[in-house]
Amino acid sequence: MSLLHRIPFALRVPLFTAALMILVGFLASQQVLTTLRQVQDDRIRELAQLQIEALSVALGPLVSRNDIWEVYDTLDRATGQNEGRRLVFAAVANTEGAVLAATNPRRAPVDSALALLTAEAQMLEALSVAGDTAEIKVLAPLVYQGRDVGQIVTEMDVSDLIAERKSVARLLLIGNTVATALLAILGYLAMRRILMPVTRVVARMRDSADAPEPIAQADMPAGDSEMAQLARSYNTMVGAIGAKAEADRRLAERERFVSLGRLSSSLAHEINNPLGGLLNAVDTVQKYADRPEVVRESAELLKRGLGHMRDVARATLDLNRLDHKGAVLAAEDFQDLKLLIQPEISRQQQRLGWEVGKMACDLPAAPVRQIALNLLLNATEAAGKDGRISLKANHAEGRLRLEIADSGPGLSKSACARLLGTGAAASSGGGVGLRLVRDLVSQLKGCVSLDRSDGETIIRVELPC
Amino acid sequence: MLNRRRMLTGAGALTLLPTFSAHAMVPFRLGLTPVFLDNDAEVISRLRDAFSDALDVEVTLEQRRTYEEVTALLLEGSIDAAWLCGYPYLQHKAALSLMAVPVWNGQPLYQSYMIVGDDSPAESLADLRGETHAYSDPDSNSGYLVTVSDLVRMGERPESFFGRTIFTYGHRNVVRAVADGLVQSGSVDGYVWEALSRTEPALTARTRVLTRSEWLGFPPFCGRSDQMNTPRMQAMQQAILGLDQTEKGRSALALLQLDGMTKASPALYDGIAARMRIMDTLRP
Repeated sequence: MSLLHRIPFALRVPLFTAALMILVGFLASQQVLTTLRQVQDDRIRELAQLQIEALSVALGPLVSRNDIWEVYDTLDRATGQNEGRRLVFAAVANTEGAVLAATNPRRAPVDSALALLTAEAQMLEALSVAGDTAEIKVLAPLVYQGRDVGQIVTEMDVSDLIAERKSVARLLLIGNTVATALLAILGYLAMRRILMPVTRVVARMRDSADAPEPIAQADMPAGDSEMAQLARSYNTMVGAIGAKAEADRRLAERERFVSLGRLSSSLAHEINNPLGGLLNAVDTVQKYADRPEVVRESAELLKRGLGHMRDVARATLDLNRLDHKGAVLAAEDFQDLKLLIQPEISRQQQRLGWEVGKMACDLPAAPVRQIALNLLLNATEAAGKDGRISLKANHAEGRLRLEIADSGPGLSKSACARLLGTGAAASSGGGVGLRLVRDLVSQLKGCVSLDRSDGETIIRVELPC
Repeated sequence: MLNRRRMLTGAGALTLLPTFSAHAMVPFRLGLTPVFLDNDAEVISRLRDAFSDALDVEVTLEQRRTYEEVTALLLEGSIDAAWLCGYPYLQHKAALSLMAVPVWNGQPLYQSYMIVGDDSPAESLADLRGETHAYSDPDSNSGYLVTVSDLVRMGERPESFFGRTIFTYGHRNVVRAVADGLVQSGSVDGYVWEALSRTEPALTARTRVLTRSEWLGFPPFCGRSDQMNTPRMQAMQQAILGLDQTEKGRSALALLQLDGMTKASPALYDGIAARMRIMDTLRP
């Protein structure tokens, strides 16, 4: 069965046709050969009948008076010496079964028993050219003037009939083979033509697995056959896949905006916090402009506050430059991340573990920062108030390893699916930006794993560098 | 023509002329048997032509299967003359006269051969006991009398010495029967066997001559004694004797592998007569 299933569909029908043809050819050939044999049997029976009747007329009086020489002479003349003769041997016996004469006296001596020759002899009425023997033996009574005067055994050369049969069989075999091969080829071509829409669909599906293309209108099968329905269904399916991919893309985009939105709210908070202090410092400078020490102190405060705001703005700018190819990942990138995540940590009153080793890899900074930020934002959300999150980043053995842990309740099933790429990809729910993480990791040819132990959810990302 | 003229003048008596003339238009009937000639159409045709030319009268050749039949026709007068064997001639010596005897290899003599198949282990006639044997004709000297008289000489009974005997009514048939294995031995005219060994060497090669008889008188042309002096018979005798004088005659003789014809006295057949006397001892 497995072998049959491996045969292409376009070949199966012609093969089946060929098998059917072989069967039909075999049966038809058998019929022809059987008919031919019947015709030959009739022919040889008629010939034998005529020959024996003629011999009976000639031999009757001779046998009845036991004239051995004349019997021999008559048989000898009847068999003749010419090539292609039918009668090759004949022996005549009297009513007692003793041989009177035979065309080959050494084979059937005078007075020997005719029974020695009749072992494989056929009776005239049931004569048949069966088998492949070139000679058939016929036993018949010798009738003269209405009474049996003896018996005659004749051997007839039927090699020409056998040859004819073999030749017919050979011709049938060749003819059937040619016809079968021709029909099989035609069947193959026809099937290929019939199955072309299917083949086209299969090819399109195979060649463009990521983004299947619809079948062009010109290639669409005409009419309303199953093939046309299949092509239409395929095109509808391709359209659905395209729409879904578009929806996925939009979703990913939205996720990015969602994370940005959340980030910007914390950024506003971050800017707003020092802003009160800074405005106070400005008031102080205005109020005590004549007191240089107060102005100096306030200016110092202003500088620190503005410096912090500048850092926050720069980190945010860097984060949004995903297409910023030139920058290579460095330890400072993680400092930026810490800066960005800090307001959220503070708001939630969480504890943050931060271990960043030396960075000496060629990975682009932007996607790695995005991956880490998304995971950290998710971790802070999952850990909740008074929770605990941590980040470990190190570079060893040509791989960058990120490990983001949180004390939250763990990822939901749909969040797992989005992060690891399993299950229904388009589902939405908690775990913002996880799909983006997965996409970025796979773009960098890395892998994501999820672990949970001691009440902690640990997401590990490995990126080759 | 020469012969006829000589015969006419030689006959002398004019009174006989009308008688002969009255018979002139009646065909001359010559009896033959296939025993000796084996129906060779060519030989028969040339013989007829040669005789017809010599006699200036139509000659019909009457063929019968056996010597007995031909002898009977001759004795009753249905035929004028016959090429017989020495044995039937002697059997009816009182009624028949010799007209001419063929000359073969320079003499009017021949032998009888006992032949066996070329693969036969037999070395003498005694080795053939119980086997099958072919005679040519019960009235043939070489094809019957010689063998049975030999058996009588050996103290055997001819009818029971062989397991089975057949008559083929033809010397060539005897050779065929032995060569083809129908019988294990055969009695055959030595002249026929030798002639066949030239014309059909493949046939005689399958046989072997076991014994040869003494030289005996060659089968003669015979006529009825009471007719021998008629001009018609005289003319025929001259025609036979003069076969080697004409082109057609020589042609016929060449086919028969004979030298010519000669006159012979009954004493030529003493050898056969002696064998007949041996046979007489069988009779009670």
